[in-house]
Amino acid sequence: MEKVIADFQAANPDLKIKQSAGPKINEQMKPRWIAGNPPDFVYIDGPELFDRQMVTDGQLEDLTDWIKDAKNVDGEKILDLLAQKPQEFDGKIYNIPFVLSAWGIFYDKALFKDKGWAEPKDFEDFLATSETIKAAGINPFIHTGKYPYYINGAVLYPAIVSANNNDYTLLQNMAKNDPEAWKNPAILKALNRIVQIRDKGFIDKASVQINHTDSQSLFLQHKDAFIPNGLWLPNEMAKDVPGGFDFGFIPSITQDKGGKFVANTSTATFGIAKKAKNKDAAKAFMQFVFSKAQATQWAELSGAPSNVKGDISSSKAPNFVKDAARFLSSPDTVVVPTVSFSADVDKAMQDATVALTIGKITPEEWVKRVSDVVAKQKK
Amino acid sequence: MKTSAKMWKRNLFIASFIIPTFLFFCVFTVYPVIQALQKSFYDWSGMSENSEFIGFDNFIEMFKDPIILTAIGNDYFLVVGKVIGIMMLATFFAVALTRFKLRSSGFFRAIFFIPNVISVVVIGVLWNFIYNPQIGFLNAFLSLFTKEKVDIAWLGFPKHTIWMLLPPTIWAGIGFYMILMIAAIVNIPASYYEAANIDGAGQWGQFRHITMPLIWEQIKVSIINIVITTLNGSFVIVQLMTNGGQPDNTTHVMGSYLYRMAFQQYHFGYGAAIGVMILVISMITTLILQRILRQETIEMS
Repeated sequence: MEKVIADFQAANPDLKIKQSAGPKINEQMKPRWIAGNPPDFVYIDGPELFDRQMVTDGQLEDLTDWIKDAKNVDGEKILDLLAQKPQEFDGKIYNIPFVLSAWGIFYDKALFKDKGWAEPKDFEDFLATSETIKAAGINPFIHTGKYPYYINGAVLYPAIVSANNNDYTLLQNMAKNDPEAWKNPAILKALNRIVQIRDKGFIDKASVQINHTDSQSLFLQHKDAFIPNGLWLPNEMAKDVPGGFDFGFIPSITQDKGGKFVANTSTATFGIAKKAKNKDAAKAFMQFVFSKAQATQWAELSGAPSNVKGDISSSKAPNFVKDAARFLSSPDTVVVPTVSFSADVDKAMQDATVALTIGKITPEEWVKRVSDVVAKQKK
Repeated sequence: MKTSAKMWKRNLFIASFIIPTFLFFCVFTVYPVIQALQKSFYDWSGMSENSEFIGFDNFIEMFKDPIILTAIGNDYFLVVGKVIGIMMLATFFAVALTRFKLRSSGFFRAIFFIPNVISVVVIGVLWNFIYNPQIGFLNAFLSLFTKEKVDIAWLGFPKHTIWMLLPPTIWAGIGFYMILMIAAIVNIPASYYEAANIDGAGQWGQFRHITMPLIWEQIKVSIINIVITTLNGSFVIVQLMTNGGQPDNTTHVMGSYLYRMAFQQYHFGYGAAIGVMILVISMITTLILQRILRQETIEMS
């Protein structure tokens, strides 16, 4: 980010730019948001900063009209450049996705090759392979029960989209707290996939009580074969990856035979504060960062895929990122734009999913529970 | 004339000690409490500059919230479990290390006290490893006695996970109260025990009729202290070991639920209301306890 700002400063010497950043930045900026003295431009990522809540709180500038024909500094239309379109809140756009990631299932290609296991292409495949893996004395599937949004993002949401004939608007309607959407049988069908994985004994019993780091370590030690995660996993665990480990990535495991893959994306976005004092400068900066040159530079320096379209097959990106990129641009993949649920609904789903994985509730109870929270939100 | 000037000087002297302390108390205790009270009447996300006055709605909501009930139940479960566990073990070890002629009692005192100097965060992480189903000590230990490898997820029971939080908190608490009790026991004149010995009283009799009554004051203080620190402080261990309430909200205490509501689900007003509830409950509990434990203290003469 510093490099991007330095470049922008060099291009606009008359502007005075102040950057505030750091691991605790969202907490540090909180008093300024509350007091109505927010930073002009905000990178929405990390804990305690949540786009839907910021929109609800009226903190972000409505960018709907501006982005329609906003061009970057090279004169290209920003909307045309984006691999993932901005999320709409009640039909309006408040934040533009800049960093692109995707949920999916990781496995070790080297281990699979060694054992003669094939990468699963659909749910039937996944079950069959898992059976073989279990017979070989390895737990087929581990997830991070302390943070159930991993299994929701990488298994449940794609399963819902698959069950809904690859139509992801269902997820978007669910996020809008539309009570009708929550009655859709596709949700039950998706939940039953998780139940099947559970009842066949494929879920590592440790899952329920461990955090992401622990589950990732067990996966890297080959105690478990599949793990739902985001594209950031290999970077996050870089220091602990054993030699010879070759990350394989598939976007989803729950599609029917011959069905399309479903890639649920997750993005980090840029927004402008509604109370920004220098909105024009903030917009100018937005136009600057969404240039191909800046996006490429970002991807290279941060190691995170950028949301600006481009061919990375010849780049230095690691194999799994290329795999992911191949999936994301394939016609056989349904790419789901980032969907953010309200915090209450999201948490209700996380709790219910954990309860489902340990057999505490049924899929029907899952739907009932979460629908009740949704109904309360509507009021 | 002279005396009033003297009085004034004296008062000024006293005030110079009291007033700064009082100011600090107001700024750092009274003001936040009033703020929390005020916030509990608002619907506020905690991030917005706007908030809406909703009267007692947060409190009404709270009485309908099933997780609140679980949380209060868990709080008192930990209170009772810790009071019984810590007091029994601390008293036992204190008596053992003072009254029984152990050779390495100094060594044991140090060993038992060590958990007290470790940060709760370290304790949480440590016990997370002990309970880890795959690489944990507990399952590995149990596996020594079974044919198949034990793979119990100790922190993942749908109903009883809260039980698993007792051993670490008791383990962490014993040392301090043990030292407190040891200090009281060593103050009891040896002649009492000698007289009891001559009268033919056994160890149990000596404990019941001499030690217990004479350390009652310390036991009382210990119990009240455990109760208050548990009601206010279980948050950390719950947050660390079960990520605040996992699995499925079965291990929430009021502190962890407050944190989740205020900082993770953006209901700051509701969180403040839970805070007010904790304050009220702690105060009532302490008052009741003071009553129950009001037994004449026996003084040594």
